[in-house]
Amino acid sequence: MNRPIDQQSDQDTDGLVLFITGDSPRSLRARANLAKALKRAGSDAETVRAIDLLADPAAIGRHSIFATPALIRMHGGEQHAVLYGDLSDAAALDRFLAQHADHAECPPES
Amino acid sequence: MAQAETALTRRPTGIDGLDAVTRGGLPDAGGVLVLAGPGCGKTVLGLQILAHSIPRGDGGLFVSFEESPAQIRRDAGSFEWGPALIASDAWDIIDGRPPIDAAAAGGFDLDGLLAIVGSRLESIGGGWLILDGIDQLLSLQPEPRAALDQIRHLNDWCEERRITLLLTGKRNAGEEGRPIDLEGIEYMLSTVLVLSTELVGRRLTRRFRIAKYRGTAHTPDELPMIMDNAGIHLPFGRPGHAEPVSVSNERVSMGIARLDQILGGGIHRGATVLVSGAPGTAKTTLAAGFASAAIERGERVLYLSFDELADRIVRNAASVGIDLQSGIDAGQSMIESREAWNALVEEHYIAIYRWLDRFRPDCLVIDPISALQKAAGAYGAYMTTERILGEARARGITTLLTSLTNAESRETETTLSHASTLADTWITLDYRVHGGERNRALSIVKSRGTAHSNQVRELVLSTDGVDIVDVYRYGSEVLMGTARLQKEHEMAEQGRREGVERETHRRGLERAIEQAHLRMQEADSEARRLERELERDQLGDADATEKYEEHRREVRRQRAADDDATQDQGNHS
Repeated sequence: MNRPIDQQSDQDTDGLVLFITGDSPRSLRARANLAKALKRAGSDAETVRAIDLLADPAAIGRHSIFATPALIRMHGGEQHAVLYGDLSDAAALDRFLAQHADHAECPPES
Repeated sequence: MAQAETALTRRPTGIDGLDAVTRGGLPDAGGVLVLAGPGCGKTVLGLQILAHSIPRGDGGLFVSFEESPAQIRRDAGSFEWGPALIASDAWDIIDGRPPIDAAAAGGFDLDGLLAIVGSRLESIGGGWLILDGIDQLLSLQPEPRAALDQIRHLNDWCEERRITLLLTGKRNAGEEGRPIDLEGIEYMLSTVLVLSTELVGRRLTRRFRIAKYRGTAHTPDELPMIMDNAGIHLPFGRPGHAEPVSVSNERVSMGIARLDQILGGGIHRGATVLVSGAPGTAKTTLAAGFASAAIERGERVLYLSFDELADRIVRNAASVGIDLQSGIDAGQSMIESREAWNALVEEHYIAIYRWLDRFRPDCLVIDPISALQKAAGAYGAYMTTERILGEARARGITTLLTSLTNAESRETETTLSHASTLADTWITLDYRVHGGERNRALSIVKSRGTAHSNQVRELVLSTDGVDIVDVYRYGSEVLMGTARLQKEHEMAEQGRREGVERETHRRGLERAIEQAHLRMQEADSEARRLERELERDQLGDADATEKYEEHRREVRRQRAADDDATQDQGNHS
């Protein structure tokens, strides 16, 4: 079963973080497209944290995310990659998730 | 709709010349696109606008999509206004750089940016939003149309809040008014400024143009732009002097009494004098004399030299009896030396302009103005000279320009510096070679508003000073120097001889008169003697006559007695 993308405050934990702005059309499309991609990748259990920048503007400064939606990959407490957009380009999204999966298998840098 | 809602209102930038060519500043609401190539100064423009707006109680936000905040601060710190800007809390920098490996998978919007910008501007309270290099982010948009939509959204957002949005973008080198990214943005925004660079004479020149400014008068010309320690200037965008001084009939001295006499009493105050000549013809000496005379009148003199250092000018002038040092010591005079080749024409112009503002001279010397032709620049030396003279005239400054002519080519006399057409008085200095020596010749080509002599005269320099002497014609030659001195000697000798002859003649006449007087005295004396003699004779005649009459009377008496006696005897006989 696909797990819904959790809407949480950003914690410096590893994983994917989706920055959205409320219920804007692009934000809604990004959520849906990401969920589909995760399913295709068999990563149903993947925890994706979603951060609404309208509710938490301070997160913009912390992550320097000015364009939304934006999917970032956290690893070892650091931001490693950014994918902007509503994630409608499935191939680009799949490549991003595959790189994330490869990266996640590596131990965090000490 | 009320007039107040439709009229364009402007937000001053505080940048020299920019507010003049935009007639007061940039729109106080909505977007302004600044298109520029690398190194043209678009980032500096944004920072300088903030720096100049903060002292006026304005401020804003600078979002950098290309450079780090630390680099932006270093950029600002290299200008005069940088330290104050960095220390101010009336602005802020946001690091808007996308991560290095950022990519896009579909369209995105800038709501996150607007959220943080809105929040920061609300706390800062400024009216400027500068997005420097936002094309770095928007170029990731898969659809160009979506990027333009974001710009339009930004523009609308700023218009609603009466914020001036300054967007910088990269200029297409082939089509100077078109951006590399965000094609079509130039049609969307109401104001487009184009900054460009060009190598002229191996020197980088910067130029500025308002490609578009909807709904308001503006200067559409391409103008030279300068970037120096004070930041960006548009020197030729500055308005003329606010209230030009009225024309003067007062005459001021050129520093040489004979020259003043030839010019009808000197030059008019506020006039422009051009002194042209080949190297070594004493142009600088004449300029120094002009400066010295102004100092003696108690006026302030700015002397700008493109050829020599100040101390050498002072020393050389002193060698011919012209004192410039005392004016400098008294703060009345300032000599500035510049290397013409070492700056752009417009940089020289702005330097002169600043000195005029700071020193406020009554008299200005530029020695030689022709040196500007050695300087590269977006504008030529002619145009710059014209602007300098226009500014000096408007301020009522009496100006003397020297101009170097090519000794080998006399025709340059008519083409030099363009200044000859602008000058009120044009004095040419030349060499005349005669009898194995060179001598300096001075003549006045023109002097507006003044009856002047067209005679060529000799300019003579000595430790006693500078003088102008009349020359002699000898056939088709004009005698100067030794030949003139020889002629002067001959004339003096001839004069002396004529003087002696006249004196001799005079004395002869005096002697003759004296002798005549003596003769007259003798004649007078003789006349008186003869008169006396005559008188005596006349007295003698009278006496004799009386004696004669007495004698006759006596005779008659005697005869009468005889007759009586005879008669008696007859009676008795």
